[in-house]
Amino acid sequence: MIKAGQIDKGTALLIKGQPFICVDREFVNPGKGSAFVRLKLKSPATGQVLAETMKSQDNAEDITVEDMDFQYQYNDGEHFHFMNVETFEDMAVPMPSFPDYQFIMKEGETYRCTVYNDEILDVQVPSKVVYLVAEAEDAIKGDTVTGATKYVVTETGLKVRVPIFIKQGEKIRVNTETKEYLERVNN
Amino acid sequence: MIKARSLLYRNIRNFFDSRNYLEVETPVLSPGLIPEPTIENFSTLFQNEFVGTRELYMVPSPEVFMKKIIAESQSSIYQISKCFRNSEQLGRLHNPEFTMLEYYTVGYDEKDSIGLTEQLFAETALAGCPEGLKNGFEVISMADVLKRETGLDLDELQDYRVLLKRARELGLVIDESVREGWDDTFNRIFINFVEPSLVGPRPIVITGYPRQIECLAKDEGIVKKRWELYWEGVEIANCYMEETSQAKVEDYCRREYAALSASRAASGMVIPDLDEDFCSIFGGPEGVRFPECSGVAIGLDRLLMVECKKNSIGDLILFPFSDII
Repeated sequence: MIKAGQIDKGTALLIKGQPFICVDREFVNPGKGSAFVRLKLKSPATGQVLAETMKSQDNAEDITVEDMDFQYQYNDGEHFHFMNVETFEDMAVPMPSFPDYQFIMKEGETYRCTVYNDEILDVQVPSKVVYLVAEAEDAIKGDTVTGATKYVVTETGLKVRVPIFIKQGEKIRVNTETKEYLERVNN
Repeated sequence: MIKARSLLYRNIRNFFDSRNYLEVETPVLSPGLIPEPTIENFSTLFQNEFVGTRELYMVPSPEVFMKKIIAESQSSIYQISKCFRNSEQLGRLHNPEFTMLEYYTVGYDEKDSIGLTEQLFAETALAGCPEGLKNGFEVISMADVLKRETGLDLDELQDYRVLLKRARELGLVIDESVREGWDDTFNRIFINFVEPSLVGPRPIVITGYPRQIECLAKDEGIVKKRWELYWEGVEIANCYMEETSQAKVEDYCRREYAALSASRAASGMVIPDLDEDFCSIFGGPEGVRFPECSGVAIGLDRLLMVECKKNSIGDLILFPFSDII
């Protein structure tokens, strides 16, 4: 058991027998009264996100998890397939558990994963990742407006708004949480 | 951000100076406080080879000293000062050391303070602050907003068993083993179902807080003559028609001190001494005792955050606590 006030992003909890992982936490206090914590908890099995607001002194059931390396291999439209790099065992994760991860994970890349009872609860994708620009429209000639942008598509299929000077075949660094362009990366 | 804070402070001082409020300065280190069980305190030691050692507390708000000045001067006063709250959870809206604007208007009630605060916001606003301010404040009672968001009737919730039943019917999980007061269970409902609706670009004033949430505001039936202001979902101001009855203030201090000592003896947190003279300012003849007045406290870091359209007070506090520890 832990106190709700100790729950942080990444803390794994058992709620009504189901594992959940905390994806967001904010402290809120009423003007007069005990402290509260507002949590967003995600079920890796279904992708369902629960909003829970608890008193910081309330008890919550935490679970012991392990961090292990998995290589992302492919998705079949329903599941992401990962391989445990130590045991070579395959593990399938329902795609709705991690919406939009299909556009930020790279096939063949190894990710640190949070594992509980042979189930991947969380895939720790770095917050900044370099992608190859797979598709980009040419900038319209004469369009020299400062700050002008366009969309490109990365090798993983992620659509990113970038400055117009970015060309196909170049590399860009992207914030994987906000999906925002950060900078061009020179080879 | 450095300029924004400087400009806002100048505007605030101009606002109160032009209305003949006295700007006051009160101690940050105090030998005694007004007990508030849910606000943890910082303590430190005064040490002197000859006089001995004395525990002092960093004030969680300037209230105790400002009220003494009001009794003494019978004047409307204001102050921009540092406040300290221990165990404060670090986050978007919390820093253990923060800046408060506190102002008291002699002869005003809490409704007058709504008008004054509306003028204060309008006249001191920084360029580029949320547009909704142009339309003034939206005022709604706690009973109405509770009804709107949950369908519950504040009158009906007076019986704790009904309150607990309704809270559970709304889906809140309250452990049987948890022994908590009416105020805590009510706050669960408020934080879960009401507060998330207090968003938007126009400041919202919630009036008539339940009487069971203890504070030094006057009673009015089942509620207190108290309001809070939310802007863009952030709680920014708290106002009372100040309690002036010596018997009620003494009773409050006794009860709250007992609650504070009981909970902190178990947790090992600092138990501050009670300010010994505080209750005495409410006695004596008119002209000497604490007069009828209304006080407002505003979290200036939060106000700046909303006016500058930032997401965290850490963006406005130049040396935030989270960078220090």
